[in-house]
Amino acid sequence: MTAETKKTLFTPVNIISGIFLAIGLVITVLRFTKGLGYVTNLDDNNPWGIWIGFDLLCGVALAAGGYTASSACYLFGMKKYHSAVRPAILTAFLGYALVVFALHFDVGRPYRLVYPIFVSPGTTSLLYEVGLCVFLYVTVLAIEFSPALFEWLGMKNLRNKIHKLTLALTVFGVILSTLHQSSLGALYIAVPSKIHPLWYSPYLAILFFVSSIPAGLSMVILEGTLAHKPWHHMMDKTYQDEHDGVILGFARGASMALAAYFCVKLVAMAYDNNWHYLATGWGAWWLLEVLGFVALPSLLYAIASREKNIKLAKWTSALTVLGIILNRFNVSIVAFNWQLPSSQRYFPSLMEIGLSLFVVTLGVTIYRFVVSRMPIFFEHPEYKDAH
Amino acid sequence: MEFFVYHDYMMFTKSVVYVLMGLFVVGFWGLWAFMTSRDEEIHKMPEHHKE
Repeated sequence: MTAETKKTLFTPVNIISGIFLAIGLVITVLRFTKGLGYVTNLDDNNPWGIWIGFDLLCGVALAAGGYTASSACYLFGMKKYHSAVRPAILTAFLGYALVVFALHFDVGRPYRLVYPIFVSPGTTSLLYEVGLCVFLYVTVLAIEFSPALFEWLGMKNLRNKIHKLTLALTVFGVILSTLHQSSLGALYIAVPSKIHPLWYSPYLAILFFVSSIPAGLSMVILEGTLAHKPWHHMMDKTYQDEHDGVILGFARGASMALAAYFCVKLVAMAYDNNWHYLATGWGAWWLLEVLGFVALPSLLYAIASREKNIKLAKWTSALTVLGIILNRFNVSIVAFNWQLPSSQRYFPSLMEIGLSLFVVTLGVTIYRFVVSRMPIFFEHPEYKDAH
Repeated sequence: MEFFVYHDYMMFTKSVVYVLMGLFVVGFWGLWAFMTSRDEEIHKMPEHHKE
């Protein structure tokens, strides 16, 4: 190994990624040889832990950038956001692919994961609807992403044929996203006695869907911000010229979407007459989530959009993403089984946390591989203006 | 607050929600006006003052 190779291979990011991936592989072996009980703190009271709360619920919500960015560009004709579409599609595709990957660890018999689709569809089940939508949407995202792959591989004919499907795929993607983003919330409507009343609502489906819009828009801003320094050399002039406009435009959209989410949250709370819970400790936690991670980012995005303050919009995107993660954790873990004594409450094991970090690291590693090679932040010279 | 029949409960919660919805409409208008007010200032500017 030459000194130059060592220098480029053993960077701090690569070393940390390598450690997380190695730990993840060990946990993977333990999970599939010794079973769920050995690696998780799950039990009959808490059959769903952070692999659902974080890997699935947060993964799906934060991958919403795919349908928000592509519908802004292709359905609403906002071509000025075109340069944001490919990075958003890539993030969404990786996000959903990793959701499916992580699900293999959480189900008892992962080799039967395809059964609901091909063998025994449970058409009256919400879980079936979620599974079918995710299955179809991963396929749609793979096709939407494939032109970048084919441009990289030089497969011109195939790339041009798939490119013609863009509009149809975008429409299909929006329909599927609307369905399963809301269905993930609707899953929790089945357990009114288990979730704290401040988080339980008959409107959970609407809350999950509405919150996925600012989550997706914020992820596009955050991802663009994080990618800007390491891949600056890969970004062409069009991407760099449109970058600030994308951030400010998406900030404006996210501000309005967060305001709508805030309103639905309050309406849901008022409709169930849960005002008296606000004076409790749970109420303080709920107010922190709603005021600190929904109302505040909405206001900060509005200020950033009004003052054309790019830096503020970038920081606000991180706050919004944290808020969405906090909300999904609250619904699925923190406020779940709130009436049980603390000894029976769920807290993830180190191996569960390790596996979630493994999944995130895997996503980041694949993302780094793809953007370093394929035309994600730049237009392939042979297809300039062919979008 | 005490509710003796379900009708009382629904009257109360629905009324509160209608009041909130009215406030939200005004709030949305305010947020949009706040966010876009500088855009209008830019549009009103003479051409040579625009960025």
